[in-house]
Amino acid sequence: MKSKMIIKKFVLKLIFTFFLSILFSAFSINNSYAVDPDEILINQKQELRARKIFKNIRCLVCQNQSIDESTAPLAKDLRILIRSKIVKGDNDKKIYKFLTDRYGDFILLKPSFKINTLLLWFLPVIFLSIGIFVLFWHNKKSKKN
Amino acid sequence: MRKKTLIIPFAIFLLILIAFFNLLLKERNPSDIPSNLINKKIPEFEAKSLLRSEKFLSVEKFGNEVILVNFFATWCKPCRDEHVYIKRFSDEKKIKIIGINYKDKSQKTIQWLKKLGNPYSNIPIDKNGRIAIDWGVYGIPETFVVSPKKIIKYRHVGPITKKSFEKINLIINEIKNDN
Amino acid sequence: MVPSLGYFALCLSLCFAVLQLLISIKNNSVVFVTYRVVINGLLISSLISFFSLIFCYAVSDFTVLNVFQNSHETKPLFYKIAAVWGNHEGSMLLWILVLTLFNFFIFRLYSKKNFLFISKVLQTQSIVIIGFVIFSILTSNPFERITPSQNSGLGFNPILQDPALAIHPPLLYVGYVGFSAAFSFAVAVLSSNNIEKIPWYSYMKPFVLFAWTFLTIGIALGSIWAYYELGWGGWWFWDPVENASFMPWLLGTALLHSLIVAEKRKSLQAWVLLLSILSFLLSVIGTFLVRSGILTSVHAFALDPSRGIYILGLTAFLGCYSLILFATRSNKFIRKNYFSFLSKEGSILVNNILIVVVCSTVFLGTIYPLLVEIFTSNKISVGEPYYNSTVIPIIIPAIIIMGIGPMMNWEKENGKKYLKKIIPAFSITCLITLLIFSIYQSFSFIGVMGIILAFWLISNNLMILIKKEKNYLKSMAVAHLGVGLLILGITGSSVWQKEKIINMKINDKVNVVKYNIIFEKIIEITGPNYIAIQGNFLVYDGKENIIAKLKPEKRFYPITNNITTEVAIDTNILRDLYIVLGKGNENDGWIVKIYYNPLVIWIWIGALTVFLGGVISINNNLKKLKILL
Repeated sequence: MKSKMIIKKFVLKLIFTFFLSILFSAFSINNSYAVDPDEILINQKQELRARKIFKNIRCLVCQNQSIDESTAPLAKDLRILIRSKIVKGDNDKKIYKFLTDRYGDFILLKPSFKINTLLLWFLPVIFLSIGIFVLFWHNKKSKKN
Repeated sequence: MRKKTLIIPFAIFLLILIAFFNLLLKERNPSDIPSNLINKKIPEFEAKSLLRSEKFLSVEKFGNEVILVNFFATWCKPCRDEHVYIKRFSDEKKIKIIGINYKDKSQKTIQWLKKLGNPYSNIPIDKNGRIAIDWGVYGIPETFVVSPKKIIKYRHVGPITKKSFEKINLIINEIKNDN
Repeated sequence: MVPSLGYFALCLSLCFAVLQLLISIKNNSVVFVTYRVVINGLLISSLISFFSLIFCYAVSDFTVLNVFQNSHETKPLFYKIAAVWGNHEGSMLLWILVLTLFNFFIFRLYSKKNFLFISKVLQTQSIVIIGFVIFSILTSNPFERITPSQNSGLGFNPILQDPALAIHPPLLYVGYVGFSAAFSFAVAVLSSNNIEKIPWYSYMKPFVLFAWTFLTIGIALGSIWAYYELGWGGWWFWDPVENASFMPWLLGTALLHSLIVAEKRKSLQAWVLLLSILSFLLSVIGTFLVRSGILTSVHAFALDPSRGIYILGLTAFLGCYSLILFATRSNKFIRKNYFSFLSKEGSILVNNILIVVVCSTVFLGTIYPLLVEIFTSNKISVGEPYYNSTVIPIIIPAIIIMGIGPMMNWEKENGKKYLKKIIPAFSITCLITLLIFSIYQSFSFIGVMGIILAFWLISNNLMILIKKEKNYLKSMAVAHLGVGLLILGITGSSVWQKEKIINMKINDKVNVVKYNIIFEKIIEITGPNYIAIQGNFLVYDGKENIIAKLKPEKRFYPITNNITTEVAIDTNILRDLYIVLGKGNENDGWIVKIYYNPLVIWIWIGALTVFLGGVISINNNLKKLKILL
């Protein structure tokens, strides 16, 4: 009975060491944390700019996350790349163009203002206008009474 | 005015239905992102080569024939699964294949290729993943078909299967016939 | 044996539903007893079917394909049962059960006065039920067997084994499916000829209330789960499937308020009919989006176009029929008595319009990428920033009106008298806003807006509740108060969130706002089906007292080779302290992510309060209904 316990403990310890070694090894599973401390830029203004851009870039291998939140390796690569471009002096427009040239508009979480997104941005305004129009029309009718 | 406006909800509903039916009937993979580089020139790059001493220069190596570009790594299981098809492209179809080794350890890759066979004419090393980003790669393995005029004609995401093998062959033959 | 029983019961429910349809078409008062038998039979067979599936899961019967795919013998019993509705086939069975349950309650209204009308309602409801049962039998049979039978199951995702997530689907389904009752009522009203004497809106109201209340709590639980489980402090992502639950909720809210006006003042009837039809259609379209495979999402079920075609066909049939009926027959419900804007009805109408605008925008954002894909070869994505920029500006005036509206009189309000009414609440709002800003010392526009709106609602409604005003409904005050608390929580946690990401070694100290956090140690622990590394963090306040011990973990589940993160959260009324453990080791230290989220708990308290308001209202309306019948 006691020997069974010892064997059980030993097996658990083995699993643990295996688990820890996975955690420690460089080619581990995706457990790099979104925005590692060593990525952070020293210049606060630049870092804030970087974070703002990250929140607008979709993580392509995740479900509906930005690269700011994602722990995927591609997200980390893109973060480091974007930061280096900010330090180099590129403006936001240039950085977004760099990304959309390679990955298409899909990578932007905030749809850009192009011909194919005209409807997307204008329809809400049109909806609101129709709504306001209906209200005014109703108001006119009620004043008649 | 009243009677006409009442039909509007139905009209809008009908339009949406048609849109959805259209989407359903098309054969598409909803998680597939189309490459933004189709029909554009390849992103030029230079890199260390795995097995050769001279550097790999894309300006030199592309531009004469149809070339397949395959992004792969030893730690990627689907890459291993599709390897047999990559070999078929090189052995059977005699297509030149450039294998870009993505974020890998050179020694491991050499061993891997020794074990499985090397279908690549050249193996540029993409240590930090920048080349992949320039090609718009988001998940390896990915395979690109490049025309003799250095234009990217097609991209396949994920491991090559029997179906995609045949599709890529069709595309390669089309390009060859066009020239 | 049991799987066969389940399948047989499912087929039996189809028979009962068809019988119900035939009886309702034939429709004379002699058939009351037959109705009773058929409707009870429908409910019972549906219950038997559903519980058979639960049984199969509980005993881990892996001869059933569905159980094999979605369960595992080591799962705790509670999660085995939750897995029943966590997959497509099982969830359709739940849909059917809720449909038959609401069907049963519709029948409870049946009386000599209204039998013709209620028959029509039951007719439509039976058609909906038939549609879904056939869908289940033909394309999504949960009782399908596999040979050879397996010893172990595939279904084991540790992230999904969480209590909030387990009960979130059934609550949502009561919501979605509950709108089917409203739909059936609307179709019945539109196709009836002498409807004037029947208070159909009073009949409809409890059903809509039930559906809406449960949809509210269902959505809230989903968000609570996301915040506590997923590890980056978010709770709403504008994911297409989340939007699919939000849109029926929005229209349901508009419907609820329009029903109040219809009942009290007999106006907005056509609006009620349209909203009933649209809410249910959106629920079904939402079901379609999740299960057809035309888009991907964390929530999407396994992709299968054939199912998509069927559901879309069903949606097309139900939608075309009801909307054409609306287009041709709703004219007589449009009253010519217009009311002034400065009135209760007026404010409800204005907010209805605003809600529909928000709903249309969310719908647009959700399907736009699909439309672009059809017409061009591009793929674009519509994410959070789009919804934030379009939806928030419209919600702000809606909230302001939400505070003003309830205190107005019906039909017409006197402007000057009204201003006097709102002075107390207005002054309280200004006072508290100034107070909060002196404490938090941060002045962003959104922050100011949010706090003003929140306290506008809170003070208005608290005063109504405290003063026990007889003119105002308690349920309304509670629900609106809940929204105020919700906005307070949302504003606080988004505008004043502080984040710190650093590398820490054992015994390192970090300062976040006024707290000092010391990384005490790393230990290894074992759970029932996982092993984990746990970081122990001591949190000290400014006066060197330990106020919390936080223990975030990284867990490894050997069965599926998953690694998950367990966030550690210390919650109090004013803020959440949220710690996530990253990778690292003894020598280099560990990556630690610390969030200071002010006022988060008010989001959940607010949602619960709204739910409570709904419950109070259901209670009141059921009493009223009994008197009516």
